[in-house]
Amino acid sequence: MRASDSSLATLWQRTSFGGVLLLVLLIANIFLNPPRFVFTNWGTLIGLAAPLIGAAIASTPAILAGRGGLDLSVGPLMGFVNAIVIKVLFLDNGIASPFVIVPVALITGLVVGCINGFLAAVLRIQPIVATLGTFLVLTGVTLTILPAPLGPAPDWLKSLAGPLSIVPLAAIFLIWAAVKRLPIFGQLMAVGSDDRAAFTAGVPVTQVRFFAYAFGGMLSGIAGLMLTSLIGSADPNIGPTFTLTAIAAVALGGVSLAGGRGSITGATTGALVIFLLQSVLTTFNVSTHLLQLANGAILVTAVVLTALQDRLQRGGAR
Amino acid sequence: MTEAALAANEVALRAGAAPISNEVSGGEIVGLAGLDGHGQERFLKILAGLETAASGAVSFGESPVHGFYDAVSKGIAYLGRDRRATGIFSSLSILDNFAISTVWHDVRSGLISRRARRQRYESFKERLSVVAPDPRLSITTLSGGNQQKILLARLMAMEPQVYLLNDPTRGVDVATRHVLYGVFRELAAAGTSIVILSTEIEEILLLCDRVLVFREDTVAAEIAGAEMTNERVISVMFGEPQ
Amino acid sequence: MTLNRHLFAAAQARVVGALLVALALHAAGTLLIPGYSSPFALRAMLVIASILAVASVGQTLVIILGGIDLSIPFVIGFANVVAAKLFGDGWNFGVVCAVVAIAALLIGGFNGYISRAVGIHPLIVTLGTGMTVQGAVLLWTAGFPSGSAPQAVSDFVSIGGSIGPIPVPLVVPSVAVMTVVIVLVLALTPYGRRLYAMGSNPQAAALALIKPVQMWVITYALSALFAAMAGVLLLGFTGSAYGEVGQPYLFQTIAAVVIGGTVLVGGIGGYLGTIAGVLVLSEINTVLIGLGLSASSIQAVLGVVIVALVSFYGRERHVREMI
Repeated sequence: MRASDSSLATLWQRTSFGGVLLLVLLIANIFLNPPRFVFTNWGTLIGLAAPLIGAAIASTPAILAGRGGLDLSVGPLMGFVNAIVIKVLFLDNGIASPFVIVPVALITGLVVGCINGFLAAVLRIQPIVATLGTFLVLTGVTLTILPAPLGPAPDWLKSLAGPLSIVPLAAIFLIWAAVKRLPIFGQLMAVGSDDRAAFTAGVPVTQVRFFAYAFGGMLSGIAGLMLTSLIGSADPNIGPTFTLTAIAAVALGGVSLAGGRGSITGATTGALVIFLLQSVLTTFNVSTHLLQLANGAILVTAVVLTALQDRLQRGGAR
Repeated sequence: MTEAALAANEVALRAGAAPISNEVSGGEIVGLAGLDGHGQERFLKILAGLETAASGAVSFGESPVHGFYDAVSKGIAYLGRDRRATGIFSSLSILDNFAISTVWHDVRSGLISRRARRQRYESFKERLSVVAPDPRLSITTLSGGNQQKILLARLMAMEPQVYLLNDPTRGVDVATRHVLYGVFRELAAAGTSIVILSTEIEEILLLCDRVLVFREDTVAAEIAGAEMTNERVISVMFGEPQ
Repeated sequence: MTLNRHLFAAAQARVVGALLVALALHAAGTLLIPGYSSPFALRAMLVIASILAVASVGQTLVIILGGIDLSIPFVIGFANVVAAKLFGDGWNFGVVCAVVAIAALLIGGFNGYISRAVGIHPLIVTLGTGMTVQGAVLLWTAGFPSGSAPQAVSDFVSIGGSIGPIPVPLVVPSVAVMTVVIVLVLALTPYGRRLYAMGSNPQAAALALIKPVQMWVITYALSALFAAMAGVLLLGFTGSAYGEVGQPYLFQTIAAVVIGGTVLVGGIGGYLGTIAGVLVLSEINTVLIGLGLSASSIQAVLGVVIVALVSFYGRERHVREMI
């Protein structure tokens, strides 16, 4: 009895507040809206949540890199990839093969990520400003290529929307797991928590930060594909809306905006929390206006509670 | 008139540590010594109201001291240890760095009078023999020693009755040190109390009337007068049997 | 070290540099676009720039403090819609302004308090508050804002307006006066000096008798107050309420501040720089529109310009210089 008590306590200590919130929200959803949350429908649900999860994970490397690291361009980059894939490749040139589309999406993301990395890490422009610049450029260029929504998407891509959305998600997780085994990941965490100490210890700070933006850019490319699957068309206006929600998700998931602390699980948890939150509110059949109000209010509350719990835990550990 | 005394009453640095009771009266210079992490820094911060003791209390004169702002309002001033982290404002001018804690003193009809500020600065500049060609330049144009003088001037401008100095000569050249020692003696002669935490025993021997030697979060010995020797302080610091 | 020695000269050079860029853009516009310097075009540009200048006051203060405020566009929309509705319902406009101002101060104060006292990144806090405020406004008006602006406000910002023989509406000289006041407040009041100190080194500030939470609450409250003012001015400018009216100001205020040489790490910069940044942005916008570019292309060019300008003078130091 006693042993299980204490293991429960350690579980609570280890789980972030986001994890608890996730569980509560999941139960609330199942209880409030059984038909939507019936187990057989979970595939569809994951498909709906996938782009936000992708965006949150893509936002994480830059934030982990510390010293104000932030990538505002994740959302517009997803929209840009969406426009390139549907408008330029599929509709204009009739290319539907995944063997072209997937590499193009990844490379587009990587190239933009490298530009971000060059601006933020090599030129050392403050990350918010640098990625705000790419945010504006990508939004503008996307609207120029694609002034209005256009469809459809290739069938294979659309089929990745439902239960099969697990495929690109799994790809992201696998890539992350692989990168985590590389020495550069440890260096990234070191740079994020204390770049001066890391530099003194011989870590190539600039290169590591550059890598963080490039990696995030590539992940944004995948997130862009997931977005394309979900909407099954090209839409220049949806992408940019992901940026701030993704950052909120990352913060909710316990990734420190000061850098050096956080994980892909955290980012995923945060994204799922936001998704489930919106889902709960929808079941109450409230107006979209109230939805937005509650969204903002709960976001602030949740982040405050996360911070307080974090503080309590550290106080307890001391 | 007798000067009010800053007193620690049964202050325990951590639960279970032997409580410390001591009193610093006006005109006295008291040293705090000990190996790093043996509680002397925490004791100084408790006196300054920056940290709270596990038990016990700090009082000044008759009234208890509750927290940093209360301490400051009672005339207790604290100088931090790490000049770069907790002292200077590197993007501000020398004048700003000097006047920041006493900005209200220069306000004339709603705005800061540059002339009043400059005059105040000049008097301290002379007293501390600061070497600074143009006080409108960034504080980072000064040498470490002169930066420290500016920080001390910032404190002195508040006209405190007690100075709590956390290793004030750390990273400061010899010439500046002697200027600072002179100022400390002057201040004490004028009736203010000074508590100096120092990592250099020679400095304490040179300046202080008595020294509290810390070991394992309590005062292992209080040494004064002829007994204050290098060997004696060191042997207490290392916990050798007396 | 030489870099630091010229810190102050450098800050002024940035302001002058941004002003020169604005002048160059103006010259280019006059050469390339017929009617660019016509009285009407100039007046329109000045009025639009004045409103952006008001909206950017808060962002300047907050960034000097070491924070950032993403709630500005939402507060602008909030003030815009609420002022119109209350005035339309027959309230006295003075009362309307007081209500909006108090609400804005509360919103901003909340932002500052949560960010500093709880220790959450202001990016997240201000975003969350902003969303909440916008949701509340939408809920209240059911998405269809109504009401109107009092004639006085419309006249105040009217492009065709004039003060006696001077051919600009009152908003332009008012913003000029406001600029002088803000520059004085930053340079010569205890609040101003403490703001810079807080942004420069929060830890040292706490020991130098600056109360961090108090500074953050006051500064964010001011930021929201100026955003609300911009919202009311926009109501006069467009004539009717629109909840999304503030959206362009999210990135424009940050861009104006940054182009003006105020650094996002805090403690460096000033409002004159922001004014220069506002002029640069207004000139670029007008030139690009005059050249017939679409809104989306303008946005793209703006992104390039911001990054290019900041890469000239807003670069951070290498880690090796921080050790």
